[in-house]
Amino acid sequence: MIGVWGGLAGALVLLLVLLAWVRAETSSKDSRSDWGAADQEQSESVEACSPEIVSQLFSAADSKFISGLESPGLQNLFRRERNAVALHWVQETSAFISKIMRRHLEASRLSADLEIAVEARIFLRYARLKLYCGILFVLIGLLGPQRLAGTALYAERFIQRVGEGLVEFQRAARLPEPDGSESL
Amino acid sequence: MNAMVKPLAVQEAYEDLLQRSLSRIPCDLGRLLYLASTRDYNTGNYHHDGLADRFSVKVARSALEIAHRQAFYKVAALSLEELVRDLASYLESSRENPEEFLRTWQRLEPYRIAIPMEVNPTVARLFASNVRLALAVLRLRQSTHADR
Repeated sequence: MIGVWGGLAGALVLLLVLLAWVRAETSSKDSRSDWGAADQEQSESVEACSPEIVSQLFSAADSKFISGLESPGLQNLFRRERNAVALHWVQETSAFISKIMRRHLEASRLSADLEIAVEARIFLRYARLKLYCGILFVLIGLLGPQRLAGTALYAERFIQRVGEGLVEFQRAARLPEPDGSESL
Repeated sequence: MNAMVKPLAVQEAYEDLLQRSLSRIPCDLGRLLYLASTRDYNTGNYHHDGLADRFSVKVARSALEIAHRQAFYKVAALSLEELVRDLASYLESSRENPEEFLRTWQRLEPYRIAIPMEVNPTVARLFASNVRLALAVLRLRQSTHADR
């Protein structure tokens, strides 16, 4: 009996996750069609989103302000708008992580002394970040961005740290240290 | 920024721009729109006659570009409540009919031209989304005000 209920609960959770995914995809597609060309052109050249903007995007203060106006129409508009921007941020972040990883792989190919342990650690971090993005994408569809401020900021800081680490690694792989630098 | 342009000259031009032109504009959104209006739509280059006369065309262009980016990020980081206040102040300073102003802004979305080139796409979307929301808030306030 427990098995049946467990299976049903599992199926329900899966269904909810799928539903959230579809909702999130629809919102992000709506916003993609609006800005698509400009985004594609810009994606290679722009800087990452700053933590101030991320906290603003996921801020509960704006939600409170809108709730205080007691207009269901405005609350719906706010939810739609913020979901679309937050989902776009997740997609952009995910693409940014992939770009960093691609650059890292290119640099690794040029590196003479590859360390398997370091590479494995970097890959695990990459996989973890991509997983965070996937989870955030679904959770935004389910709960909305305002309840996820902490997670989003954590992901943002983590991405920046990993990004900086990979850039350092890349630099080191491209520019070998002069002889004798090990003693410094 | 152009590599041939001296940073010190750009800094001076930037401060000059802040003191002479931008300080007269009462709100952040107004400053942003003013700076965006100094950009040529076809080339993306900035131009300001007074600033170019006092410094040089290139220095003025760089100073305007920096000021535009800074003004944009400032407005994009405003909370919704602050943006509504700022937009209301801009509306008031425009001396246009509020109803017509809000309706036109909702339809034409002129604020989109205020987005500088090569900014983060998420920030650009957040900015446009926040302005849309601020316009909706002001329209709601206007309709409730009219009902009373």
